[in-house]
Amino acid sequence: MPNSATVEISQALAGLNIDAPRDLYKDTVLEVGAADRAARTDSPIGPVWVAWSTRGVTALSPLFEANTFDDFLSIHRREAYEATNLSADLGSSLTLALDTGESADVAFDLSGLGSFQRLVLAACATIPVGQVRPYGWIATEIHNPGSVRAVGTALAKNPIPLLIPCHRVVKADGSVGNYAFGAETKHRLLVREGALLG
Amino acid sequence: MTMTPTGEARIRRSLTEEFDTGFTALVREYQPGIYSGALRLTRKPEDARDVAQDTFVRAYRALLSYDDDRVLELQIRPWLWTIALNLCRNRARSTVTEVSLLDHDVVSPVEPSDIDDAVWSRRLAGLNAHQRAAVVMRHVLDLPIAEISQATGRPKGTVKADLSRGLDRLRLTIEAEVLNAK
Repeated sequence: MPNSATVEISQALAGLNIDAPRDLYKDTVLEVGAADRAARTDSPIGPVWVAWSTRGVTALSPLFEANTFDDFLSIHRREAYEATNLSADLGSSLTLALDTGESADVAFDLSGLGSFQRLVLAACATIPVGQVRPYGWIATEIHNPGSVRAVGTALAKNPIPLLIPCHRVVKADGSVGNYAFGAETKHRLLVREGALLG
Repeated sequence: MTMTPTGEARIRRSLTEEFDTGFTALVREYQPGIYSGALRLTRKPEDARDVAQDTFVRAYRALLSYDDDRVLELQIRPWLWTIALNLCRNRARSTVTEVSLLDHDVVSPVEPSDIDDAVWSRRLAGLNAHQRAAVVMRHVLDLPIAEISQATGRPKGTVKADLSRGLDRLRLTIEAEVLNAK
């Protein structure tokens, strides 16, 4: 069957393979939630990048750690695209949560994190504004009382600080302990929330 | 266009390790082909775009429900094409005026490549659905016959027959065009 005519036809058909529209890939990965949007907003520790997928917030990073969007991309664990503003449905609840410290109305997307870290962060998210808990409390909450050290590591890698309030987890002796943005910032946040006297 | 087995294996492994990162790699790798093929099957850029997006929305949901063993055994490209062909078929069913496009010629001033494009769209529209799908996947996208067989659920021998009859039909169409032009 392959004669010169059919060879010409198959060559012409090969030429019909064209590129997809440029924004199709981006629209698709955003639509399914495989990639995030990210925008700047204000917070009690100054301006921050907030990233979110269709499922919820995936990350929060202060600008003093990632000044430009490219800086943020280099530390973010997921693919992301810059947005000028927070999305309408996220915007009001997020602004309120950052202002009051009460983040029950904010959805989080912790996909891609290990199951232990997800458990630790979920337990941490239940600590009310104005209160603190020792690391051991979280270890007990997740039914793994021997994991205090691992709890500390999981909290140190909290991708959504402030909204998941790892600053409310303190040392057993009542001192504030470590914080990704420094013990002084942690102290200031706890004073602001009324958990500590200034 | 043709992907090495190692590349596909890498995407499979990536899906089991970090699902969303793996999925972005999967979209990057396979969406251009799905769009290009869907454009030839639906003949409308907006339909091709919808098919190329919906295919991956469905794939994402399905893959999330698969366990690692199933993901690691998956033949990704033909699996995606099974989804895409269904979406193209559903669109064709809902487009009742489609046949009227057959005799529609491009009259506005357009680039030569666009004229070529429209001519080939009309020629491909003259094939039956099985022939058209097989010809587009084999000759436009360079998919192997085994993958077309998997994607369409038709035996390899049947796919070969679809291809051979499809190309014959295209050749006869072109010959008729030449005769009519004289």
